[in-house]
Amino acid sequence: MIKISDLQKVYRTEEVETVALNHLSFEVKEGEFVSVMGPSGCGKSTLLNILGLLDDPDGGSFIFNGTEVAHFNERKRADLRKRNIGFVFQSFNLIDELTVFENVELPLIYLGVKGPERKQRVETVLDKMQIMHRRNHYPQQLSGGQQQRVAVARAVVNNPKLILADEPTGNLDSSNGNEVMQLLTDLNEQGTTIIMVTHSEHDSRYSHRIIRMLDGQTVTENILV
Amino acid sequence: MIKNYFKIAWRHLQRNKSYTFINVAGLTLGITCSILIFIIVRFQLSFDDFHKDTGSIYRVVTDLHHDNISYTSGTPAPLGKALRDEYTFSEKLARVRTFGNTLVSINSGKEVHKFVEKEGLAFAEPEFFDLFNFPLVKGDKSALTAPNNAFITEKLAHKYFPGKDAIGQTIRIENSLNCTIAGVLKDLPAATDRVEQIYLPFIQMKDLDPSHADPGNWTSINNNMQTFVRLKKGISPASVEKLFPALMNKYYVDNRARTIYHFRLQPLGDIHFNPNYSGLVEKEYIWALALVGLFLIITACVNFVNLATAQALTRSKEIGVRKVLGGRRFQLFWQFIAETALITLLATVIAFFLAKEALPYVNQLLEMRMTISFSADTWLAAFLLILAVLVTFLAGSYPGLVLAGFQPVLALKGKLNQQHIGGFSLRRALVIVQFSISQLLIISTIVIAGQIHYSRKTDLGFIKDGVVLLPLPIQDKQKMDHLRTTLASMTGVEKTSLCFSPPASGDNDLDAITFDNRAKPEPFNINEKRGDDQYLSTFGLTLIAGRNFFPSDSAHEYLINETLVRKLNLSSPQEAIGKSISVEEGKPKGTIVGVVKDFYNYSFKGEIAPICINSNYRTYSLCAVKLNMARAGQLLPAFEKLWNNTYPEYNYTYQFMDDSIAEFYEVETVLLALIEVFAGIAIFIGCLGLYGMVSFMAVQKTKEIGVRKVLGAGVQDILWIFGKEFLRLLILAFLVAAPVGGWFMHNWLQDFVYRIPLNAQVFLLALLSTIVIATLTIGYRTLRSALANPVKSLRTE
Repeated sequence: MIKISDLQKVYRTEEVETVALNHLSFEVKEGEFVSVMGPSGCGKSTLLNILGLLDDPDGGSFIFNGTEVAHFNERKRADLRKRNIGFVFQSFNLIDELTVFENVELPLIYLGVKGPERKQRVETVLDKMQIMHRRNHYPQQLSGGQQQRVAVARAVVNNPKLILADEPTGNLDSSNGNEVMQLLTDLNEQGTTIIMVTHSEHDSRYSHRIIRMLDGQTVTENILV
Repeated sequence: MIKNYFKIAWRHLQRNKSYTFINVAGLTLGITCSILIFIIVRFQLSFDDFHKDTGSIYRVVTDLHHDNISYTSGTPAPLGKALRDEYTFSEKLARVRTFGNTLVSINSGKEVHKFVEKEGLAFAEPEFFDLFNFPLVKGDKSALTAPNNAFITEKLAHKYFPGKDAIGQTIRIENSLNCTIAGVLKDLPAATDRVEQIYLPFIQMKDLDPSHADPGNWTSINNNMQTFVRLKKGISPASVEKLFPALMNKYYVDNRARTIYHFRLQPLGDIHFNPNYSGLVEKEYIWALALVGLFLIITACVNFVNLATAQALTRSKEIGVRKVLGGRRFQLFWQFIAETALITLLATVIAFFLAKEALPYVNQLLEMRMTISFSADTWLAAFLLILAVLVTFLAGSYPGLVLAGFQPVLALKGKLNQQHIGGFSLRRALVIVQFSISQLLIISTIVIAGQIHYSRKTDLGFIKDGVVLLPLPIQDKQKMDHLRTTLASMTGVEKTSLCFSPPASGDNDLDAITFDNRAKPEPFNINEKRGDDQYLSTFGLTLIAGRNFFPSDSAHEYLINETLVRKLNLSSPQEAIGKSISVEEGKPKGTIVGVVKDFYNYSFKGEIAPICINSNYRTYSLCAVKLNMARAGQLLPAFEKLWNNTYPEYNYTYQFMDDSIAEFYEVETVLLALIEVFAGIAIFIGCLGLYGMVSFMAVQKTKEIGVRKVLGAGVQDILWIFGKEFLRLLILAFLVAAPVGGWFMHNWLQDFVYRIPLNAQVFLLALLSTIVIATLTIGYRTLRSALANPVKSLRTE
């Protein structure tokens, strides 16, 4: 599903040049659940941003579903992103001014899904995530675990092929964290590919494979299953 | 999608109440003013545009070429007839002679009701109603050919004869002329310079103004004796003006007269605006007002841009999320535009109602009858629509572009900084624009107020305080003597004088003079003042040579002023004494017996004229009374009683001399009031924005302030962080505003012959006042930041 080869990303300021990704290559197959681990500054987040088409690489190749997307323009990237990729963030990133229902509905609005269908799809996913009873609440009225469930609901509402999770349990206590990890596992079992950046060895054990990074390169790959 | 835009916009506004308030308040004030200014400008520009073929209607006016050129909206009375009888260029031509303050009496059988009509009356030829679109609702315009017929408006018909048919009723004009109502005119539109509501046949003008009714009188011109013409199709005004020299040759035998009088055609559209011919408002003032409106809108938009861009950082997460979820740049841009549109719409609706509430006060200030209606006035509706769209894009585009351009990765991580929102420099530039506008308006206010103050407080060379002017409705010598001597005997009355006009007046009589034994009349006109022997002492005029004239009923002896001495090329005032002078051709000569010190006889816009003072009771129209103001409370009712006993058939009025002087500066006073209000509003909008900016800065600098305080900075050091930022902007704004304001005000002052100097004090005062205002605005917020506990501010970081 994803094949990156020789991927490079360099951040430059006037005096300093930081290499974030240093000729990085790996592959992720459809239906895999992959964890990316490594110390702070090793390039995990940069990798996730490039995989999520939020940022473009300075060199190398990124093939998504058989298409070279490394040099897509913003419009094409946004289009590909909204149809295929769902995001889950450490800090949830829900929009404070929107209710639970409206937050989850947002990707469908950008996809141009009509109102009645939107309602039905949002309700289905909220039901699945067991937060239907909170549909009219605002994010700040929810607990962290509930917020992350809303974020997961939002990530999956458009049935993406790929979910990118950036430390999804980083802001949660262990019981809420486990719940979220279970949600992701369930999604993976239903066929969604998941790539998760994490510091938690515990969380990484939910995945099939762990890619360990250092200084912008993969150092080891552990296959867990 | 649109619903989502508005939903989130509305919630965002609700969550950020102070931000919303500042933005809505600023925009509302700006839009309210621009609506009012639009109504004023449109009203002014619509004067007399409702007649048929306005483009081919002209007024014949006269330029008088003496040693300088003066202008009058009038023509000699016979000119119109000659143009009609001897030339073929006119499709319609009408002469009209107007009079102000007309006394109208209605005899109801039991009692006589008296009305003084400020708008006056007009003697008009019937074709007047072909030229101008003043339709009759009853009667026929041909009735205006027969003597003793009158047309009045519906309003007056209702006022004079409530509940009755006015046709066939009688009104009595100036206690001398009985007229039968033969036609009722539809009420006059608000936007016309033709204000008279009573029309009488032109042939009857002789009853009120015999001299102008004389068909041979080609040398007497009154501003209010006017000639209007509608040219036939294809005839240009220039081709008509070419015919005038031949006409002059025919009717002016005297060569000198031919060089003095120059007739011109003034387009109808120019009449309201041309000050030379008594136009009410100069177009420059109207454009200046429109510019102020634009300034206010810009100021309000600048506020919006500044606050919205500053606020953009707090919305970075939302933007990041939207982008991650597939929101495209243009979608985010339109989302922000929708938000701005919502604020603008809210502000426009509130502004419309505010403008509606404010309009009566504006009407009162400007003495106009403007109306505001959204549904009936398509121009206003179109203006509001265009304004709302314009403001939305002017205010929303830049912040929208900034927001839409956020990098989602940086936005989500909260790593956006000042550079990502266009840096501080753009917002600095906008604040400079705002302060420049405020300072420009402050400079204008100071200069206009200064000039008006100067005009009012400067010694005019005569006494204007504590002098009451009582009218003399008829020139009956016995009655005026009785009035004067009885007034003089009252305790508290210091001096009394019978005269034609006070030393400075809007009513002026200009005449040619011949001095001594000189062969030709002088190449200039003198201003003739007529008063009795008490004139000098009542008005406090100073005699510098010779003596006052002796009491006399007619002009044998003359007083002249210093300017006339100079204009006659005499070496000293003494030289004029004893010389003969003849005022008006054919009048008997008199002798100059004294010279008075110069006094300002016009407003400060006109130079001091050469003046002759003589006595002639047949022209006296006022009794001037110098009184002890401490006794005014008792005296004024006594004056009224005496006056009513003396002239029982007339209506009593009076005016204080200083009020009559203040009328010279009516336009300037109104202008000042408008500028003051608009400058105040511009400053207020600017302050709102400044407060918003400083609040934002305070939040942004919380950590910096905390660190500085930990490192030993005092309160004043922290205040200075903010102070130097805004002081620098104020000074930069001043560098823009001072030359522009100086240029505008220098040009404005050129209208005045006697004016205040445009010195550094004016500009320093403007700068200082904005510094004070800005300090007051930001003071509280900055002090709060400076006094904050650094431990707390660092912990929140």
